[in-house]
Amino acid sequence: MAQVTFIAHDGAVITIDCAAGQSLMEGARAGGIDGIEAVCGGNAYCGTCRCYVDAAWRGVTGAVTEIELPMIETAGDGTPGVRLSCQIAVTDKLDGLIVRLPDSQM
Amino acid sequence: MTANTVPDSAQCPVHRPGRDDRKSAGVAAAHFAPTPGSTLVDGFHAARDILRSPKVRQAGASTEHVDKSRPDEISFFFLDGDLHRKRRAAVAGLFAPKTIVTRHRAVMDRTMDAIVARLRASGSHALDELSWQMAVDVAAEIVGLTDSNSNDGLARRVKAVLETSVNAPTKGLGKWIALARTLKRIGTFWNKDMVPAIAARKLAPRDDVISHMVQAGFSKKGMIMETLSYAGAGMMTTREFIVMVAWHLFDNDGLRQRFLAGDEADQFAILEEILRLEPVASFNWRRAAEPIDEASTGPVAAGELLTISIRHANTDEAITGPCPFELDPDRAKRMKVNGPYLSFGDGPHRCPGAQVALHETRVFIDRLFRLPGIRLVSPPEIQWNPGIHGYELRGAIVACDPA
Repeated sequence: MAQVTFIAHDGAVITIDCAAGQSLMEGARAGGIDGIEAVCGGNAYCGTCRCYVDAAWRGVTGAVTEIELPMIETAGDGTPGVRLSCQIAVTDKLDGLIVRLPDSQM
Repeated sequence: MTANTVPDSAQCPVHRPGRDDRKSAGVAAAHFAPTPGSTLVDGFHAARDILRSPKVRQAGASTEHVDKSRPDEISFFFLDGDLHRKRRAAVAGLFAPKTIVTRHRAVMDRTMDAIVARLRASGSHALDELSWQMAVDVAAEIVGLTDSNSNDGLARRVKAVLETSVNAPTKGLGKWIALARTLKRIGTFWNKDMVPAIAARKLAPRDDVISHMVQAGFSKKGMIMETLSYAGAGMMTTREFIVMVAWHLFDNDGLRQRFLAGDEADQFAILEEILRLEPVASFNWRRAAEPIDEASTGPVAAGELLTISIRHANTDEAITGPCPFELDPDRAKRMKVNGPYLSFGDGPHRCPGAQVALHETRVFIDRLFRLPGIRLVSPPEIQWNPGIHGYELRGAIVACDPA
């Protein structure tokens, strides 16, 4: 279990518990985080679950993977720390993770 | 395995007994035939876990009769693992929501302008021919089949190839007859549709599937297979879904009013809920490459063939909540589930054109139902397409006030 804080573009802060073994996207959807759309269901085919990992946590979550790159490029999103949350596996090491959300997933 | 928890709808505690909003349930039940010797997977969680598992391989739809020794000459559909992912990723941007909104939406609007003009000029028209026009035009644009003599001809040729190649006989004289017929049709498709498209893109590359294949050096066979997969799937399935949505909205005043009054998000919620109940393709298949033993699936032996029933999984009360056969556009949000459930598949092989299909359906339906005097003159007849194990809706006639 990891407690993850999502900060929406308008500054709203929501902290939820995400179960280990889920993807961060699945945890966010289950926790009612509206800013994560994930229309493809977690296959890195849509780019609508983008989030920005807080600088202090990037070493833990890791860098953008090859799987994520095409959709991030399509979105034209060069924000530092950008990841597809469907490709971040929740582990206990992510307890306390802070991520920010884009204004729009389009 | 995976006991389904589909309840007796007569026990639904919330709504009147026996309510079942599905239109295709009868024909699907009549043709319900899991592959002999396979294991039926009918619970939602088991189905999703199987489809997402790295321990399974694509199966069904002639997959196991395809020669995989030369992966560059077969469709991405038949591949698995890293090879599959790379092929999908190379063109995934063409199907992304952002690309749909910024590029494909214009094609959808333009096509819909033509469809509306056609309908208003004649006063009435076959609905599946109008939905076919939308599906073909959009798929052609994304794939890059834009240099044919006409999109009607293109659509006929794509359909002809798919009809002879999907679920063709695999042995005896029938195999050779089907093969000869398929090769002849592929030759026609190549000459009339692909050759001019490739030539145009060699001169001036565009952002579409064929341009990508030209630049990546695909072989002739590889290009044909990839193109038919993207174009064929997009054309044939979206045509049916559009008619199904229209049929529901013609029959349900409240739903139609909600759709017309709703914002895009609510319109998509309605479309996705209809798709949950009326998935165009009823089955996916996978073969276990190694043993699987998840809580949802139970033990699955290496080599076991799995028939995944999308219809059963989508109405599993464990994930739908009460009244699984009732059309309830608020269901997915309430249950915190992805709206179409498993209707587009799941895992690495999830339908690449899912968002395109939803968007073009939304554009089509929104424009159609705002036409003055729009009405359903005759409902569709439900047929069954054994090639995709799914419904086909033919014969629906819509009418509107003439221009």
